[in-house]
Parts: sequence; structure tokens; C-alpha cells
Amino acid sequence: MHRLLAVLLLAAAAAPAAAAGVDPATPEGLAALIKLIDERQRNQGDWKALCYMEAKEKGKTDVVSELLVYRRDADEKQMFLFTKPKAEAGKGYLRLEKNLWMYDPATGRWERRTERERIGGSDTRRGDLDESRLAEEYDATFKGAEPLGKYQAWHLSLKVKPGVDVAFPQVELWVDQATQNILKRQELALSGKLMRTAYYPRWKKVASPSKGGEVWYPEEMRFFDEIEKGNSTLVLIKEIDLRPLEANLFTKAWLESRSR
Amino acid sequence: MLLVDLQVAARNLTRHTRRNLFLGAALASVTGLLVLLGALTAGIEGSMMESATTLLTGDVNVGGFFKVTSGSAAPLVSGYPKVLELTRAAVPELDYFTVRGRGWAKAVSDSASMDLVLGGVDIAREPAVRRVLQPLGGTLDELAQPNTMLLFQGQAERLKVGVGDVITLSAPTERGVNNTVDLRVVVVVKNVGIMSAFSAFMQADTLRGLYGLSPEATGAIHLFLKDRGQANLVAARLREEFQRQGYRVMEPDPQPYYMKLFQTVPSEDWTGQKLDITTWEDELGQFKQFIWGIKVFTGLLVFILMVVIVIGILNTLAIAIRERTREIGTLRAIGMQRRKVLWLFVLETLLLGLGGCAFGALGATALAAGLNAAAIHVPEAVQLFLSQEHLTFQLRLGAAAQDVLLLTLVTVVASLGPALRAARLKPITAMHHIG
Repeated sequence: MHRLLAVLLLAAAAAPAAAAGVDPATPEGLAALIKLIDERQRNQGDWKALCYMEAKEKGKTDVVSELLVYRRDADEKQMFLFTKPKAEAGKGYLRLEKNLWMYDPATGRWERRTERERIGGSDTRRGDLDESRLAEEYDATFKGAEPLGKYQAWHLSLKVKPGVDVAFPQVELWVDQATQNILKRQELALSGKLMRTAYYPRWKKVASPSKGGEVWYPEEMRFFDEIEKGNSTLVLIKEIDLRPLEANLFTKAWLESRSR
Repeated sequence: MLLVDLQVAARNLTRHTRRNLFLGAALASVTGLLVLLGALTAGIEGSMMESATTLLTGDVNVGGFFKVTSGSAAPLVSGYPKVLELTRAAVPELDYFTVRGRGWAKAVSDSASMDLVLGGVDIAREPAVRRVLQPLGGTLDELAQPNTMLLFQGQAERLKVGVGDVITLSAPTERGVNNTVDLRVVVVVKNVGIMSAFSAFMQADTLRGLYGLSPEATGAIHLFLKDRGQANLVAARLREEFQRQGYRVMEPDPQPYYMKLFQTVPSEDWTGQKLDITTWEDELGQFKQFIWGIKVFTGLLVFILMVVIVIGILNTLAIAIRERTREIGTLRAIGMQRRKVLWLFVLETLLLGLGGCAFGALGATALAAGLNAAAIHVPEAVQLFLSQEHLTFQLRLGAAAQDVLLLTLVTVVASLGPALRAARLKPITAMHHIG
């Protein structure tokens, strides 16, 4: 019953896009497009991904890591567990009740960190690997249709809704007209200064048993620091598994046990 | 009578020149080392205090943290005018105060970046900053303008910027929203110790803008007392007073506020405002431990050297007594009392100790003065440990005199044993002694 409802909701949200094509120039079409972007990426159940991360920092050696990302969106739980390199293996982040904790196996200590923590010192943040909540967090305006490389894109401008806390109060989005996938995202500071640009050149979909439909995810993400030019991070999602995870997985004890 | 004794003792010392010169030189070396190490430690402590009280702390600080969520923390005191009013009423020992914004941000120039601990200042009300900081370019008055920044020489070199250049500061607001501000460097000043490696100043209202703070919020109120020795007393009184007024006050924790900001406070499970009353010693927690470490090391070194000296004295006096046994026998035979023999030997050692130690202290003082004048540049890696840009010895006459007296006393005490043995000799045995 729940699955059927979810499918119906998704179909309703995607209706304008699926039927006569999305028209973000109208307020209804724009709202539908934002909802569609969220819905296509949303999964009803658990989420596990094997990620490869390559962080480049100006004047420093590149840092390459491999990590497992776990999500249970219904409870807003999330976990990162580094598996490579050896020096970082066992290090992890655990998000519980909107608190982000970091575990360092070298000291055996947990430290509470800010939600906007840069994961593993890279340009990636926890939110980059969380579910999309654009409709909940931002009010959108349509800026126009414009080419982005070989793609035809819609340019949307998002401003944070009053009373909502986000890392970037203003976001510029370029959405592929053909697939409704995000191609480029620019994040601006409160001052209006451009802080980070992200590119999503490859998207993939995977069947979700819990959702009863498809879940889209960016297979490749490239983040560029616009303040410290020369710093960038590449994230590749190599494997996705949407089967239910262990019930007690999102606990400090579980992460510690994997770190030993 | 004492003069005669002194003459006799001095004459005895000069009769055994080689041996006494050797012992005197050893005493002089140890005293010199002790004075030099003491002056170096005092120099490090002095530089640290100077930079700390200019950059980071008052004698007592009324600071605090505000947590929107339990996982975040901002170093601020909300509604500070009322807090200031209560503070002034509770601290009659107050000489003057400054109101400082506190923050942390990444500073980015065209070619480099670095993390900075920020102080938001109203430069017109910062007498210590004006007194201590020496501009190398630009003027301190310019810091009264909005969107301006003061950098230390080392920071300007690292960021490769000069007066007139623009840098970007990037930091999250208290609600975790990323923000930036572009600032013009209006003054570059000489470094003042290790803390100037990571502390910088900007105009107070610009700092409030960066963190999205109201005009009634600040980082901390720095209190400068007429007598710094009263700091602990005043801090304890303020903690009690604020608690009585209904404020939540943090337990004393001897750590700089930025360590609490990154390590302890975000892990604590509370939200809202808490005040944190600290003293200059709390804010210098780790540095004080470092100084204590140096003092322990110096103490150990001096102890080992003293043991060597005591053994040397015991040996030298034992040899001297053996060589002078017949002389002691003769003196005893012509009527010299045992107490007098003991006195003469102790007097000899006292003269030797005083002379050697005083010579060592004078030599060390001259050497330290010479090294200060030479202004030897300390390598950047060592600056971290010494808190100094140039090797600085802070010479204190009282401490040097204390070292001389201490080592002389040790020498005299060490000589008591052999001197007693000499005094116990029977005249007949001593006169028959061959060798």
C-alpha cells in the first residue's frame, strides 16, 4: 500500500514533466521541477554506497580515499566509514538526531562536529551525499534557458526559506532540460560571494525495492573551491545497494566495531 | 679579627692556585649556566606574556559561548552592555577594559591561505595594542574604518600581501551559514611572539557582520587590573556574581578559548548562552605548561651539575687537608682551637664559592647582554618553542644574586664535612704525618 502511494505521489509530482514537458517558466512548473529533482533522488528505505574520493589541495599532495556511506532517510541517519587509505581506515562520521559525530580510531574518541564539516578535510560535505531536500529548504526562481556545454539547461536560482538553516543561503542550479538531472550547482555565501561550484556529469538510476521505483544518483561529482582556487574534490559513487541495512547499524558501537 | 681570618683564608687560597682555579672555574660555569637558563626562561615568559596580553587575553576575561544546537558553538557574549555593567560594579580593582570580538576564519589571498584566530577591535579603545604593536607599513588608525584588517609580518609574508591588498575571510556564522568578507590590509605590524603567528585583528563591526551578530554581541570583555596578582580572586568573585544574577557560568578550565571552541564546547550537551570567566593564566594554559617544563628541565640540569660540584669540592678539600695535615698539626700545637680550624676551612670555601659564582654570574650577564645586542634570529620552527623571533635573555639582577648565593651556600655546606675532619685531627698525629 505504501509503495503504491509512493509511486502515485512520484507520478503526481512528475506529471508536468512527464506529460507536456516541464515548464519552469511558470510558478507551478518550477515547483514541480524542484519536487521532481528531489523525488528522483529520494529513496524510501536504506542506502549504502561505496565511494571513491580524491581531494586536491593547492601546494599539497592529493589525498585519495575510499569510504562507505550509509543512509536511513526515514530517521535522518547517516554514516561515513573510511576504508582506505590504511592511515584513515576506521575513521568515521555518524549523524544521529541532527548531530554529527566523528570517530578517530587512533585515539578511540568521539567528537561532536558541525553539520557542515568538510568530510575527511576535502571539499565534500555531509549534505553532498544526503538526500536532496531542495523543495523543503529553498524558494526557487527561474532565470532562463541557457546552453551549458553541449547540454540545454534551465538556470534556476534558489534562496533559503526563512527560518531554515543551511550551509549556503543561495544556490544557482543548472538542470538538464532533457533528463531533469542537475548538471551544475553554484553555492554562494551569505555575502553573495561564490564559494563552491559542483558539476554532476554522470547520473545513473537504480531500482529501489523500498520505493517501488527508480532512484537516481550522481555517479560522478566534482567540487571546486571558488575561494581557494586550485582546491577541488572528485567523488565517484562506485556501487549502490538499496537493500535494508542492519537495524543497529547507525550506532557508535557498530562503527567502533568496524574500526578495530 | 674577621679581617685577619679573611686574609689568612685568601692567602691559603692563593697558595694552591691551580687546584682552586679549577674548582672556581667549575663553580663559575655552573652559576653562569644557571643565570643564562634563568634569563632565557624569563625572556620566553616575558615575550609570551607581552604577546598574550596584547593579542589574546586581559588579566581577567569575561567571555562565553553561544550554542544554537548542541553540536555547534560560537565564541560570544550576547547582551554584553549589561554584562559589562555588572562586571564594572563587581570589580573595583579594574584599571581599564577592552571589548573584543572573537572568531576564527580562513584567510585567503590570491596566492595562499591560512587559518586565523580573529580579534574584533575598536582601535581607539585599545591602549595596549597601540603601545606594543609596531607598524612596519600603514597606520593603526586606519583600523577604525570598516572592512579593514591588521596582519602581523609573518602572516603578510605567508599570504604574500602588503598594505592596500585585499584578502577574503571565510567563516560560518553562529547558525552554520557560510559567509565571507573582503578586507583591505591597512597595517602590517612586527611579530610579537608565537601568538602573532595565528592571531590577527579586524574592525569590530566588520567581525560582527561576518558572523551575523547583533551590535549587542561581542566575543569577550578583557579586564586589566591595577594588580595582576588579584586575577584569580576577581575571576572567582565574577563567577559567583554572574551566577547570582542568573547567568549560566562554565566551570574553570585552563585552556585558551579557541581550544574550547574546537574541542570541548561542541561536545557538551547544552544550548544557549554560557559565560566563561578566565584569567590570563587559564588562557595561557599550554604555554604555562611549556614554561613549567623548561623550568623542570633547568632544575634537573642544575641539580646534576650541583652533585658534580659537591663531589668535586669534597675531593678537593680532602686532598687539601691531606696536603696540609702537618700545617694543621703545627697550628693546633701553637694553640689554635678546633673551632678556629673549622672556621678557616669554611671561610676558604666561602671565599672560593662567592668569587667563582660571582665571576660566573657576571660572565653570563655579559654574554646574555651581548647575545641580546646581536639580535640573533631564531629559526621559524624553533620560534614555536621559544615564543621569540629573536633570541632574548631577560636579565634580572635579583635572580642572578639568588643563584650566586644558592651555589655559594651549597659549596659551603659541602665543605663542612672535610673541614670537620681537619678540625678533629690531633696535633701530634698531624705533625708526624708524612706526605
